[in-house]
Amino acid sequence: MIRANGLSVTYGAVQALRDVTFTAETGAITAVLGANGAGKTTLLRAISGLVAPRSGTVSLDETTLTGERPEDIVRRGVGHVPEGRGVIAEFTVEENLRLGAMISPMPLRDGLNQQYEWFPVLGERRKQAAATLSGGERQMLAMARALIAKPTVLLLDEPSLGLAPLVTAQLMHTVSELCATTGLTVILVEQNAKSALRIARRAVVLYLGRVVADDDAAAVAQDDQLRQYYLGMVK
Amino acid sequence: MGSFLTSRNVADVLGGLTNGVIYSLVALSLVLVWRSTRILNFAQGAMAMIAAYIGFAVLAPTTNYWVSMAVAIIAGLVLGGLTERVIVRGLYGKPEINPVVAMVGFLLVLESVAAAIWSTTSRGLPTPFSIVDWQINHKPVALSPFALYEIVTAVVVMTVIALLFQFTKLGLKLRAAALAPEVSRLLGVRVGRMLTLGWMLSSGVGAVTAVLVASNYFTGLTPTTMDGVFAFGFIAAAIGGLDSPVGALVSGVSLGIILQFVGDYLNSNDIILVALGMLIVSLMVRPNGVFTRSAQRRV
Amino acid sequence: MGARWNQRVVAGTAVGAAAVLASWLGVGTARAATALSIAAVVLVAALALISSSEFRRDHPVVARAAISVAAVDVSLVVTGFFSSTVDSNLAIGAAMSIVLLGLSFLTGSSGQISIGNGAFMGVGAFTVAIWANHHATTPIAVVLLLAVVAGALVGLLLGLPATRLRGPYLAGMTLAFAVAFGAVLNLFSTWTGGDSGLQLPYAVNAPAWLVHFFQPGTSSLTTNSVWLVDVTIVTAGIALFFMANLFASRTGRAMRLVRDNDVAAELVGISLPRARVIAFTVSAAYAALGGGLWTIINNAVTPATYGFALSITILSLVVIGGIGTIPGALIGGLIYAFAASVIAWFTAHTGLNPQGNVASQLNGIIFGGLLVLTILFAPTGIAGFVRRRWAAWRSR
Ligand SMILES: Nc1ncnc2c1ncn2[C@@H]1O[C@H](COP(=O)(O)OP(=O)(O)OP(=O)(O)O)[C@@H](O)[C@H]1O
Ligand SMILES: [Mg+2]
Repeated sequence: MIRANGLSVTYGAVQALRDVTFTAETGAITAVLGANGAGKTTLLRAISGLVAPRSGTVSLDETTLTGERPEDIVRRGVGHVPEGRGVIAEFTVEENLRLGAMISPMPLRDGLNQQYEWFPVLGERRKQAAATLSGGERQMLAMARALIAKPTVLLLDEPSLGLAPLVTAQLMHTVSELCATTGLTVILVEQNAKSALRIARRAVVLYLGRVVADDDAAAVAQDDQLRQYYLGMVK
Repeated sequence: MGSFLTSRNVADVLGGLTNGVIYSLVALSLVLVWRSTRILNFAQGAMAMIAAYIGFAVLAPTTNYWVSMAVAIIAGLVLGGLTERVIVRGLYGKPEINPVVAMVGFLLVLESVAAAIWSTTSRGLPTPFSIVDWQINHKPVALSPFALYEIVTAVVVMTVIALLFQFTKLGLKLRAAALAPEVSRLLGVRVGRMLTLGWMLSSGVGAVTAVLVASNYFTGLTPTTMDGVFAFGFIAAAIGGLDSPVGALVSGVSLGIILQFVGDYLNSNDIILVALGMLIVSLMVRPNGVFTRSAQRRV
Repeated sequence: MGARWNQRVVAGTAVGAAAVLASWLGVGTARAATALSIAAVVLVAALALISSSEFRRDHPVVARAAISVAAVDVSLVVTGFFSSTVDSNLAIGAAMSIVLLGLSFLTGSSGQISIGNGAFMGVGAFTVAIWANHHATTPIAVVLLLAVVAGALVGLLLGLPATRLRGPYLAGMTLAFAVAFGAVLNLFSTWTGGDSGLQLPYAVNAPAWLVHFFQPGTSSLTTNSVWLVDVTIVTAGIALFFMANLFASRTGRAMRLVRDNDVAAELVGISLPRARVIAFTVSAAYAALGGGLWTIINNAVTPATYGFALSITILSLVVIGGIGTIPGALIGGLIYAFAASVIAWFTAHTGLNPQGNVASQLNGIIFGGLLVLTILFAPTGIAGFVRRRWAAWRSR
């Protein structure tokens, strides 16, 4: 369980998050939705320690994460697939995975094999430079690289960005399956509200850095006002 | 065969190779810190010089050569680490001239301090091998046991560095920290530590270089021994591309050989001028170096 | 002109008072008092112009000229009262401040840095010496102009790659030039005189009428050092005037914006690729002018002066003074003028062996150390520090 409590983040004069409080339940997907600039990425960065909040705390289960460095937070089991994927293009697929496996308790071989089972295409491309992968393959690599460390929490920042609808659907399916089978806690930031709401248990809607809704995903999906004003979805 | 090996051109190639590996080492040392911290270390030569002094001047002159070499390398590693922690750390994310200025200032401090402690008088370093050229049919080949030792040492150092970076976990982390620091942190790499380590390695390579230079060149060890060598090493690194270790190696050796021919067929005064000309032309044609793939995409 | 009548009255009264004061001061001869009075009149007139904010707004160029004139005027008077040692130090420092103005402009307008300006100084220094040795009758002002042109040409040649280069590459290239400069001189050793350099075929002296005006019957103006420092100061004043206009140009305005803003000041440079080559050429030309003046002041030039160490010193001075600013360059020049004396004084008072290793290296240790500390903790240098203090004090 990840809990944000009264989280505020500022960049110079810009206040990106204002007093954000929400809980992401264990073993479920929590969708974080909102328009461009709503503060979604900032929220994930504050959780994984890349930005220091001005006030408020983030806690994982009963312990607080705030104030720890990202390299320590990831060791506590919080994996973060950043916006734009963060695949190291100069590395081969396998080098990217080896880097992700560095903090894993599992033997490297087993970890790699498991990921190649999950994402067979990565196994085929293992010696290839990541720069040569397609957008969807890169997204898989980014996810596999986070998963190989055996996280208990996974932060996904717009995984569907730039992917075809079919690929997005596959990806969403993979994420929900992961949750169901491994008890992973997922915080899923998405522009694509429709497909995110379909697999999420709860949804948090951000608007100009504030939480404007925090409810069951189904309820958010039904709320016409929310859909219209904050999610830009038409009926 | 014998007359071929002792011919003028072969002599130039061998002599150039001996100088060239030194330039390659300096260039490699520069590339190591440039890749990880985007800082061109103008104090590289001076730091190496200090390490050589610590190995060979602080210890009594009677000490074993290899012990001194080891001490110099350790001094280099420590100095590199300290420099990163104390000076360089405050320069990350600053305008790009700030590190230039800081490292030039550090260069001045190091050279002045060295001169204050050890004076500007040159001191000869012991050599573990003869510096007299081998002979074939009573004619000298332009290669001495010491020159061969220099070349072998350079090759060993480069191989060790290459193996470290390419095939070890540490190397993977070092490369990742250099290429994508933020992503690396998200994957648990202690980036700050990697940067320090990068500076240590660079400075360790520098220490070996300075010891070789000071025992080979007529100048011996002085506080400014490395100035000229640094200039050539920088030229090699800039031509090869500050991002490319392979570029450093190739252009260092090529530069050494070309300049040897220049010195032989033209005159020794023209060496630095030709090098400067090559630098200007190559920077105009390929501003990021010959061996850097242009516009690398970072995703 | 812009000054209102009341200001003119004030100015007129001040002129009168200054003239009377000057003639009452014990300044030796009546002629010296006359000269002093003239200087006072010029100063008060210049100050009257500058004091009107209306005038400064409507005639910025004339106002800048007035500032330069006032600065030069005061400096000229002051040098008349100094010992010849202080005067020659000042001359060397004033020439250096010209060099620093150029480098300050380079960094301020393009965010780039040169570690080779010592070599550009050398270009100017040798141009003056070589020309004077071949054409002894050319007026010294013309010879100095030739030095400027030579510096600009070499700067242009080296600056051409600058359009495409990132900062550290350019800095490295200028460093290579500084290291190679000795070899360049050697290449033309028939002209440059090899290791021993060149002597000027004549001493640059005050014109006869001026000497006679002040000291009828003697052959030189007190000592030659007063004349030399005055020539340098006038030249520096002209250089300052041009630089002030450059700083106020579009490029310069963007720069000042950066400088005044604390956060943005960290950025020191702003990206204006077009201005890069021009800035680089200007900085080389200014360096050459400073070097040319050094040749005149020393009456000789040696290649050893223009080694790598000088380039580093120049960099230190400009950074410590305050990079990217005009006051910073002037402060740097002053520091250079008196650094050696201060360090010698320090050595004498700490009981260091003045011939020892430590004493001879103090200069490098202090300047290098200050350079590192300045860039880490006060990247805008003394000028930036004072400016911020002043702004804070005024806003209290
Ligand atoms: N490093 C930064 N410096 C200054 N402002 C920033 C920075 N990063 C983000 N911001 C601002 O903070 C606000 C929130 O940004 P954030 O990236 O969290 O939005 P987002 O919800 O992820 O948007 P998107 O859907 O476009 O990715 C925006 O107004 C943005 O401009
Ligand atoms: Mg975002």
